[in-house]
Amino acid sequence: MKAPAQAARAEPRAYRWTMPANWWTRNRHYFLYTVREFTALPMALWLLWLLYDIKSAGAGAANFQPPRSAAFIAFSAVCFLFATYHSYTFLKLAGVIMHVKVLDKTVPPRAIIITMFGLWALATVVIGAVLIGFAR
Amino acid sequence: MSAHSTQHKTAFSHLFFWFMFANGGGLAALVLPVHILVQGILGPLGIVPVVDQHYDTWISVLGNPIVKLYILVLVALSFFHFAHRLRYLLVDFGVPAAKSVPAQAIFYGGAVVVTIATIWILLTTAPLF
Repeated sequence: MKAPAQAARAEPRAYRWTMPANWWTRNRHYFLYTVREFTALPMALWLLWLLYDIKSAGAGAANFQPPRSAAFIAFSAVCFLFATYHSYTFLKLAGVIMHVKVLDKTVPPRAIIITMFGLWALATVVIGAVLIGFAR
Repeated sequence: MSAHSTQHKTAFSHLFFWFMFANGGGLAALVLPVHILVQGILGPLGIVPVVDQHYDTWISVLGNPIVKLYILVLVALSFFHFAHRLRYLLVDFGVPAAKSVPAQAIFYGGAVVVTIATIWILLTTAPLF
């Protein structure tokens, strides 16, 4: 049986590893990864604004204020950059994540990526046409 | 080891959250940029006419049940995606508490709250028909 002092020495010490606070600025890939993850925040804020815009329509025609301020346009421009970066990175990843088989043959990742970007273009045209086409 | 203990259980919670995360990210990637571009930039600048720049067109479009369903799915799925990404971003920034159950309740609960608020806004803002 070991003496108490010996037992304490033999006990494994926990190695507490911590990342430096600025790890994400040290490498271009880390930075772009962080930007990709951060895109969620501006997109969430813009969708919350959309909900506010919808709610404000419920106040009636007399109280309705269409969004036209410079601050809102600047906010949207920033959100647009982040949203586009999210689209580019997310749809590009689809080729890695998605495994599709057609007639027992695996669809090449490049074909999946091209299809996803094609769908993005199609959705852009259709939604843009609805938002503009149904306007007065 | 008994045969019973080797049986695999389907992780339904993982299935659910990965479904919401992947589809939310995909849907936001496909449709959000054009919403922001048209409703947030081109419309307010007066470059193109947009439905939400006039009360009558905006309320008319919002009264359509397909539009209501589309907005609900877009917001609900996207917010589950955002909750997941932002929680793990905090973990990456050295906040291990973001992995905890209370943090999960806050982030995913937040997504649920936004979803419920969206349902309420869509049902109370414009009549269905």
